[in-house]
Amino acid sequence: MEKMKLKLLYSDLKPELELIETELEQAVDSESLLLNEASLHLLQAGGKRIRPVFVLLAGKFGNYNVELLQKVAVPLELIHMASLVHDDVIDDSEIRRGRPTVKSEWNNSVAMYTGDFILARALERITEIDAPRVHDVLSKTLIEVCRGEIIQIEDKYQLDQSLRDYLRRIKRKTALLISSSCELGALVSGTDEKTAAHLRRFGYFIGMSFQIIDDILDFTASDEELGKPAGSDFIHGNITLPILFARRDPAIYKLLRENLEKDISDDKRLEIVQTIRSSPAVDEAKRMSTMYLDKALQELDYLPKGPATKTMRKIAFFIGKRKF
Amino acid sequence: MNGQQIQSKIISMEIDVLNAVRQRTLNQWTDGPFVKESRLFFLLLPFFNGEQWSAKMETSANTVAIVYSALHAHDKVREEMPISKEQQLTVLAGDLYSGIYYQMLAKIKNVEMVQKLAAAIIQVSEKKASFHEHRIQQPDEVEETVKVIETALLHSFYEANEFQSYGELMECSLLYQRYTEELEALKAGEFSYVLSLLGDTLIHNSFIEQWLMERLESLSEHILLKANDCELEFEVKAILLDQIIPHQHSAEQLTREG
Repeated sequence: MEKMKLKLLYSDLKPELELIETELEQAVDSESLLLNEASLHLLQAGGKRIRPVFVLLAGKFGNYNVELLQKVAVPLELIHMASLVHDDVIDDSEIRRGRPTVKSEWNNSVAMYTGDFILARALERITEIDAPRVHDVLSKTLIEVCRGEIIQIEDKYQLDQSLRDYLRRIKRKTALLISSSCELGALVSGTDEKTAAHLRRFGYFIGMSFQIIDDILDFTASDEELGKPAGSDFIHGNITLPILFARRDPAIYKLLRENLEKDISDDKRLEIVQTIRSSPAVDEAKRMSTMYLDKALQELDYLPKGPATKTMRKIAFFIGKRKF
Repeated sequence: MNGQQIQSKIISMEIDVLNAVRQRTLNQWTDGPFVKESRLFFLLLPFFNGEQWSAKMETSANTVAIVYSALHAHDKVREEMPISKEQQLTVLAGDLYSGIYYQMLAKIKNVEMVQKLAAAIIQVSEKKASFHEHRIQQPDEVEETVKVIETALLHSFYEANEFQSYGELMECSLLYQRYTEELEALKAGEFSYVLSLLGDTLIHNSFIEQWLMERLESLSEHILLKANDCELEFEVKAILLDQIIPHQHSAEQLTREG
């Protein structure tokens, strides 16, 4: 339902997004039936397609050319998809978006090949664009996203990590790819440098807010709404913002410390989820998300007013309020 | 170019790859990038044999080695549950190496090579996936699968730089080396996807050894022929036959021809 609401926000882009959906399906076409099936399995599980949306919206600030913009939007979504398949191997995840993961439906090896295949398709597609700056931005982003994931593993189970560690991690893990989506959309549409910079920063702040909300929802949404067990982040040792705020309460700290890096029962998982949910940490985390949203909205004030700015504003508000 | 210079250049490339992908956590938890010496040799073969060689080609060759490392890292991911920290970082090492090869080529504005390597990775991934599909019926199809996995990346480099004349030699040599490894695995009773597929296609497991021996014999002859076709310099040929893909006939054959 939430995904539907989000899609309603960018209903103006429906024809373009349908084109991108078709292109995504074509991009994962393979002579290997197995890779084709595994990639489609992932593709058909859906997703918010937030990266293509931001590419398209950013493109509205320059010479809007869907044919050109989809050459950036499709690879960005493919890169995101490839990272999800590999993330599920890293996290041993059985379920994503309510469906079995590729590694669970097949095995780790198939998930590795699928991720490599999808990433290669993304790079193959992006080379259709002959603009060095596009490749500079995208290759740097790819590397930073990986570094973010490496840091995430380093920081796993580190209950005493700092807020700065967390922010540095989510910047690389999520915000950069969204920021690059906006920047690349602007670049291929030939906007001026200033506009591109505002769009890039808008994407960055939205990305930060988006990830914080995601981390909050991991505790506040239900298993059904999430399509995976609530509290998965804690189970996997990912110390997110609600945990960082909640740990200041000695009793909660003790509870978290005692159950970290353990194979906990479902009852214990729900107890931890409930404890965090009813603590002030959730509201504090929401405030931080709102702070990033406000910064994103401020960036929009520098951009020319029009339908694209309006839609970006609506998406920003939606992200702040989304329930799962 | 003498043997020592050839070895030094291979080591130098290995160091360049190590430096390009260096990352503190990965150094600590993973085995680091790995590329077989034979693949490095074939990446540098045109240079060893006196072909025109530029800095751009050298960077491209390094990126091919990095992609081999990326795919090798992902091949090492096993099915154990739960996955270990080392394995998690091995997944990410492969992904990071992929980002690095793209960035290196973007920096020298060699988008064509990005495209060619991506196409080769697609081919390799498709062939690796076929190990899990049970669609391969004939030993020839097994050979085609192995050939693509071993050589597609190198072919992409040769194509991009008009070194295709070395393609067949490289193909025979790397197949030869792979079959030698498979034969050793067979004798040691180890599992491999290739042996498993050969077992499925050859009716009886006992035929695998014989099939591998025959292929090695045939490839051995082809390597000598192709080495002559490519007009390899004596030292280069000596290193190829004695060190890169050592096989029983090489020394005597070389002496006879030398």
